[in-house]
Amino acid sequence: MTEAALSLQEIVKTFPGVRALDSASLTLQPSEIHGLVGENGAGKSTIIKVLAGIYTPDSGQLRIAGQHIHPITPASVHDAGIRFIHQELHLVPHFTVAEAIFMGQELAGPFGLRKGQMRHRAEEFLHDRLGVTIHGNRLVRDLGTAERKLVQIARALIDGQAKVVVFDEPTAPLASAEVKTLMDAIFRLKQQEITILYVSHYLNEIMGICDRVTVFRNGRNVAVFDDVDDALGPKMISAMVGRDLDDIYPARTRSFAETVMTLDKLTGPGFEDVSLSLRKGEILGVAGLIGSGREELVDTLYGLARAKGGTLHLHGKRARIRTPSDAIAQGVVLVPRDRRNDGLVLPMTVGENITLATLDEDATFGVENRAHARTRAARKVSELDIRPANTGAIVRFLSGGNQQKVVLARWLARDADIFVLDEPTVGVDIGARAEIYSVVNRLAQDGAGVLVSSSDPGELIGLCDRILVMLRGRVVAELDPARQSMDDLIALSTGATNAPQGQEVPV
Amino acid sequence: MSATIPPRRRALEQLVGFAPVLIFAGMLVHIGIQAPGFVSLLTLGLVLEQSLPVVLVCIGMSIVVMAGGEDVVAGGIDLSIPATTVLAAGILAQWLAADGGFVMACLLALGAALLVGATNAALVAWIGLTPLLASLAMFGAVVGVNNMVTASRRINVDHPIILWLRDAEIAGIAVGILCVAAFGLAAYHLLHRTRFGLHLQAGGGSVEAAEMVGLSARRHLAIAFLLAALTGFIAGFFVLARGSGSSPGVEDNLMLEMVLATYLGAAFSPRRVVTLWGAVLGALLVGAITIGFKSMGVNVFWLGLIKGALILTVVAFAALAKRGRA
Repeated sequence: MTEAALSLQEIVKTFPGVRALDSASLTLQPSEIHGLVGENGAGKSTIIKVLAGIYTPDSGQLRIAGQHIHPITPASVHDAGIRFIHQELHLVPHFTVAEAIFMGQELAGPFGLRKGQMRHRAEEFLHDRLGVTIHGNRLVRDLGTAERKLVQIARALIDGQAKVVVFDEPTAPLASAEVKTLMDAIFRLKQQEITILYVSHYLNEIMGICDRVTVFRNGRNVAVFDDVDDALGPKMISAMVGRDLDDIYPARTRSFAETVMTLDKLTGPGFEDVSLSLRKGEILGVAGLIGSGREELVDTLYGLARAKGGTLHLHGKRARIRTPSDAIAQGVVLVPRDRRNDGLVLPMTVGENITLATLDEDATFGVENRAHARTRAARKVSELDIRPANTGAIVRFLSGGNQQKVVLARWLARDADIFVLDEPTVGVDIGARAEIYSVVNRLAQDGAGVLVSSSDPGELIGLCDRILVMLRGRVVAELDPARQSMDDLIALSTGATNAPQGQEVPV
Repeated sequence: MSATIPPRRRALEQLVGFAPVLIFAGMLVHIGIQAPGFVSLLTLGLVLEQSLPVVLVCIGMSIVVMAGGEDVVAGGIDLSIPATTVLAAGILAQWLAADGGFVMACLLALGAALLVGATNAALVAWIGLTPLLASLAMFGAVVGVNNMVTASRRINVDHPIILWLRDAEIAGIAVGILCVAAFGLAAYHLLHRTRFGLHLQAGGGSVEAAEMVGLSARRHLAIAFLLAALTGFIAGFFVLARGSGSSPGVEDNLMLEMVLATYLGAAFSPRRVVTLWGAVLGALLVGAITIGFKSMGVNVFWLGLIKGALILTVVAFAALAKRGRA
């Protein structure tokens, strides 16, 4: 075998309380496209950051074309010819394509910038090396997302020194049609003898583009696949998952009543033609990767984004939600994904946070009835077992799980019957997760309709009655958790298997 | 998801971005009709000469906006430049009136101006204060210092160099205009034609993007505040020349016109962002409007109201245009 283009050997990286990388290794052969996959938290991002010199590993080594790189710093890996195409574009919107590509390495002569030459070289590079034609004088903000991504790639490679290029989720913000443009460009790079590390959640892309694939789980490489064939999809998924369902979910003993929310071909920023119905007593899951339109759908349901088409019915009546207060007035409440910023007022107490949404009910002529509010808050604290059991505790100092319970408690104090929970257990430890699931279960049993949007397939399978799978802005499948597994869910949401729209996938 | 913007919406955006210029053009036409003598070469010369201090402070302001970004509150803004200008003028006037020597007067005024710039830089780029707040407070403080220096009196200056700036002509063009034009060209080259200028603008456009390629947005912002103070210092000479001395109260109007002209200038730029070039044009337009209204006999108090309203209009249109793009 020829010398590896890049090899990371037995990398260990620990953070307080977490072993993020546990003797992880990754080897790229020259001029190959190498896929790196794994669930959230498997250690993919950590090893990329180690490779980029952002994290210093506790032990292990990096070799590039046989040469030992030590220490690993942003400058040393750059000098060794490694380039990163980060998920975020990091481009100046009002710069021209040429200025953006040459940023930090502008061409200048004794009389200042050589703008014409930069434009010419930028256009030539985009055309010859990436196979696209973009005028060098266009402004970055006028470009489509795929074009911006190509400009970002050109910027990383324009100095001609790149040997290994790392793509971190390059297609996440792209629509399906744009993905192909990017794939073509990456293929071209491979033909120019550049080695590529391709990190993605989209397994169909991995299968379509990669020569070899490494799977990470729990901070280490658990499998390397050399043959990319039809059997790869299921093999990757079982290597990624490698565990059974956690036994922390409540039993499904709910009964459903009438429909409380119906979406008919709802279209908004980032999603199209989403139809669904939610019944009282039901927990409906929405699955999808970042960029699938799942987050935008949730935002639209709560009035944080505007729908552009389609209809929404609440309690059988046509409804419009333009602002969060519209949503609340019609019985729709949101437990946001970023609870520290959007869900809670951190410097305030538990009691104040719980009664925030019910102040008008606790007030007489606008003056808050403190005693009333306090009793109400104290009742919720004991009901949900919020710890410490003290309404005067400052929310900032609570654990993630208890903070989430405070957000839930606030809405439980109101008469809402449609709950939208966005990533309800992100950053919450396993014990608190079980408690949150039991609160969610009780909400449904008490007759609310609950919509859970989550990136955790285990959570959706364990908790929900039905699951809708979104991919690139559309609902591509509906899953029955009683009959289908986490593997099916991952396969559908990563595009590894296709399901005809709106139909159930056979088991 | 990328979406191609429909052509009609794009046309509307263009119009919104351009609206401030249209409003100004309309006002100039109105003045031209109301005050027939207004559109003559003589007035053009007068407008240019009267606008020199504003042009200079606008150059300074646009440098800071370019380095810090266009967000009016959190981005780059330096309201203290006009105060620096009057402080420089005050120190020059006081020192020259006491026969203290021209070079020493210049050094003192320059030192004071750069101290203001360095303080701004420290407050904003290192401590992280909001530029609007920091530079507004600075404005108040510096005006206070100037009142102490000049004891809030008018000081006449008849130093030959100041008189030369006011009266001399080369090939029929006022020396002041030539000096400011030369300075403007140099600044234009520095900001729009060199690596330094592009790096400075990169930080204003996106701090993350600049830092990804190893540029320090904060360092460039700090330099921008120093350059702005330098333009404030130079403008001090032209305030002295225009008024034949230093008088209290010049700073308020200067600040109003600076803010108006700089943001108005964005409407001239094909990219709809603040540029040096646009700011200079904006300053001249504002000067023309001011002189135009004065020649129509419009009350001075009304002028303040009109300018204030124009600032709000220009900034509101800029915000609308930005929202359209987002």
